[in-house]
Amino acid sequence: MWRPCGVFDATYEKDMAIVRTSRHWIALIVSLVIFFFIPLYGSYYIVSFINTLAITIIAVLGLQIVSGYCGQISFGQAAFMALGGYTSAVLTQKFGLSFWVAMPLAGIFTGLYGLIGGAPSMRIKGFYLAIATIAIHFVTLWLLLHLEITGKSVGLTVDSPQIGSFVFDTDERMFYIIMPIMILMTYAARNLVRTRVGRAFVAVRDNDLAAQVMGINLYYYKLLAFFVSCFYAGIAGSLYAHLTMVCHPEQFTLLHALWYIGMLIVGGLGSIPGVFFGVVFIRVMDEIVLIASPYLADWFPWLGMAPAAGLGLTAFGVVLAVFLIKEPRGLAHRWEILKASSRLYPFAY
Amino acid sequence: MRNHSIRWLVVLALVIFGMGVFTSTAPAKDIIFMDLSDYTGPVAGLALPGSMGTEDYLKYINNKGGVEGLKIKYMGIDTRYDVARAISAFKRQRRNKQVVAVGIVSTPVGKMMQALTKKEKLVVHVPGDGEFQAHPGNFFTWGPVYQDAFAATIDWIMDDWEKKGESGKPKVAVLSWDNAYGREMLRGGKEYAEMKGAQLLPSELFPTGTLKHDVYLTRLDKAGANYVYVGGVDPVQTNVMRDATALGLTEKIQFISDYWGPTALGISLHPKALEGMVVVSFFLRGQEAFDHPLLKELWTTVRKQPMDKFNEGYGIGVGAGINLVGAVTDTVKRVGKNKVTREEVHNSYLRLTGLDRQGLAGRCTYSPTRRAGADVVKFYKVTGGKIVPITDWVQTPDAVSMHKWK
Amino acid sequence: MTNFLQLLLLGLLEGGLYAMVAAAVVLVYKSTHVVSLAHGQLMAYGALAFWFALSVLKLPFILALVVALIFLAITGWFIERLAMRPLIGQPLFAAFLTTFAVFLMGDGIFQLILKGESNSFAKYLPGGMTSVIGVPLPTTQLVSFGVCLALFSGLAIFFRRTKFGLGMRATAEDHQLAQSTGITVRAIFSSIWILSAMVATIAGIALANVMDIYFPLPYVGIKGLIVALVGGLESLPGALLAGLILGILENISAGYLDPIVGGGVKEVAAYVLLLFILLVKPYGLLGLVRIERI
Repeated sequence: MWRPCGVFDATYEKDMAIVRTSRHWIALIVSLVIFFFIPLYGSYYIVSFINTLAITIIAVLGLQIVSGYCGQISFGQAAFMALGGYTSAVLTQKFGLSFWVAMPLAGIFTGLYGLIGGAPSMRIKGFYLAIATIAIHFVTLWLLLHLEITGKSVGLTVDSPQIGSFVFDTDERMFYIIMPIMILMTYAARNLVRTRVGRAFVAVRDNDLAAQVMGINLYYYKLLAFFVSCFYAGIAGSLYAHLTMVCHPEQFTLLHALWYIGMLIVGGLGSIPGVFFGVVFIRVMDEIVLIASPYLADWFPWLGMAPAAGLGLTAFGVVLAVFLIKEPRGLAHRWEILKASSRLYPFAY
Repeated sequence: MRNHSIRWLVVLALVIFGMGVFTSTAPAKDIIFMDLSDYTGPVAGLALPGSMGTEDYLKYINNKGGVEGLKIKYMGIDTRYDVARAISAFKRQRRNKQVVAVGIVSTPVGKMMQALTKKEKLVVHVPGDGEFQAHPGNFFTWGPVYQDAFAATIDWIMDDWEKKGESGKPKVAVLSWDNAYGREMLRGGKEYAEMKGAQLLPSELFPTGTLKHDVYLTRLDKAGANYVYVGGVDPVQTNVMRDATALGLTEKIQFISDYWGPTALGISLHPKALEGMVVVSFFLRGQEAFDHPLLKELWTTVRKQPMDKFNEGYGIGVGAGINLVGAVTDTVKRVGKNKVTREEVHNSYLRLTGLDRQGLAGRCTYSPTRRAGADVVKFYKVTGGKIVPITDWVQTPDAVSMHKWK
Repeated sequence: MTNFLQLLLLGLLEGGLYAMVAAAVVLVYKSTHVVSLAHGQLMAYGALAFWFALSVLKLPFILALVVALIFLAITGWFIERLAMRPLIGQPLFAAFLTTFAVFLMGDGIFQLILKGESNSFAKYLPGGMTSVIGVPLPTTQLVSFGVCLALFSGLAIFFRRTKFGLGMRATAEDHQLAQSTGITVRAIFSSIWILSAMVATIAGIALANVMDIYFPLPYVGIKGLIVALVGGLESLPGALLAGLILGILENISAGYLDPIVGGGVKEVAAYVLLLFILLVKPYGLLGLVRIERI
């Protein structure tokens, strides 16, 4: 809601716009252009890192909608991603569909599965629901591990997407598929949460009984939130399967779902930019731990030969606890404060 | 508040800058062996000592001046039994020409790497899936593949069965992890067992991380199993034997462990439970490994650890290191030390047939048609809290070719 | 038939272990209304501390137990003081997520300490097997089950007979009301974490006696949470009942369904049971039904 001095909204459209001033537009376009040329000047590592970041962002955006906006904490996002990946893999490999058809279908199928996954939310909420989604995670992965069509424990190999004879088989090429989808999904999420549906989600989150009294159909909106969230997870899973070219149950463990929730907490529940902050913060932190741990192991031999796993988890846990206790509104809130204070500088308010 | 944020950003920027400095320290002329290993999780018991072995052997060679001056740097990365992390770590170095070989421990990571390196001639060390032998590519197994070791065990079982003077067919069952690894040994192993006249019972597969195995053991007992081949990485075998002993099954059933089975460490934890277990192994175990001069030297002088902390899995890593150094030596001889590329190292791996591994394992058997690292195994038995050899090196049958591969 | 009996008894014994883990979770919920994931870790650390005292410090059994209990009591107090106390008055869900953060932190340190190996009490505690109505059962598990029964009766006496236990029950009813009758709610919160950490220690030692100290041990804590949910979060008898049901269900279903569907049933049986119970009786078998108001 903050804007520079002297800018007034004369029309409703202007008041509702996400990008407000012409300077914003220029900044947005310039940064998008720079961003889109990353594969040309960035190293291969940076590009592949950004790809995984973007896929995680899509999955966590979905989680933000169901958990951050609708208040139904879900530990099942990794399983839903797995389902999306597998659906896409089966459709392309076994039924010979093209990636461009399979990906949206994977999203829709996962969304429909999310209606089953979200069914317990009709009876229970809060941590009861959170633990129920853990149950859904394990049941889903068990199914993927034991069905004939999903290749059982061997998993499935997936081909890279292609247009005509152009194959998207490197990370640089996949970048141009993943990025537009991520931007589109972000845009969709940003708009969804400020429509009637989004406001209904927030009402359900803040007090479901009160929301019901106001005439909001609880079941409809809870299930809708799960549908949308799983649609996002399905798309993310599909992209992930086609990026890594393999679908395997061990790519999607409960720990991944826990990390996603953690990213949401660090970024800030109930904020779309928060997703970006959370994902980037946690992933970069993890990457730093991974790169630094061999040196730490040299300096502190008592840490053992390879402290990365332990240190990474510990750092994550500490960061999470600190955010929950000291800044429950997450980095998104810090960002708002920073924006406001830099606008007013050198005055306090 | 504002000051805090800025300070925080500065720290972050410094850390990222530090990252960049750290990652660019390898001198350009060295070559790199990248080890994607799992130091925690279900396969840590094998991956950790194995990685130490390779690291120490490469250090040892480098200390002696490397391969004609060319040093092989060891780059160990903990993938935490997480496929995504392993792939991201590999991608970080994928275009780095200095990386001439990659080591992998977990089977699913191997499967993904196969998809990733389809078109490249990059040597990848993997534990022992027969799939790589069936479709020769850039994946090289450490020792004999799982199905060949299983087939050798079937031979041993048939002998033992005859020696005991029993009639009829012995009932053999596999008890292993419910993942790609756990099913691998039967792809070919099954056909071999049937040919040899052993009766295979349905396999019992359990998820990694299972802590109790009572249900599976009682079912095997009910099915009348005579021999149970236990898969998984120790302490899985130790845990299985602990439960079997508690249920009193060790009298009735002869348990045999896959080659990732109990080491001296596992035996020291549960000496009574493991008593009588037979272990098929392609690397030295027990006193033989403790007395091996090279292992002893590396462990005490390079790793600088006392011998009572020694783990036999170390020998696997040293064996892999010997292969790598052998191949690089061959490459340097053929093309000179400035032209060591991934492709040339790969070609050298195909010429390693007969490389002597100082008795740590059998002679190397890599060749243009073979990707399995050895073709001999040894049988050990846990007796009196010690693991002692009961046979000499035994030739493994070829079970891979008996399976109808897709 | 003997097979069925064996699976049943083994399941019963295993269920006792789950029930003990659940007991620690129930204790915390009873007086603070926080569902704790952290107890999976407390349990693992209890086992680890006991093992350390036994094998490294070479203490006798009783002394090792005391050392482990004291160490874990301090850990529990620290968690309450540093992580839970600042969250009083915040939504309960934040406290739940904080215990989840504590779980992850603990898991990281646990892996750092364990270094990919496993530890066992086997050398220090009796093993072997005992025959019960003609079915051979592991002695370690019988001992652990005995510990479970003793623990539950001890807790029952504690809550019914002692003044302190009464205070905890009063706090569970209503924090403000308890405060106004002269009960120090803060002290109750601290002591409930200390007590539950000690219960978790005993559960952890009993568990590790059967399953060894290996990296998945803390994740048995998630099963304990499921047991607590199935039994009803406020109810200690519910935890015992649900624990036994889960243990038996896991073993029987794995025993008979595995060959049909191809394995792994034991791992999902608990979750299927949970989903079923939550849909039929959302507050658990013996839990209190809450009526919400706006």
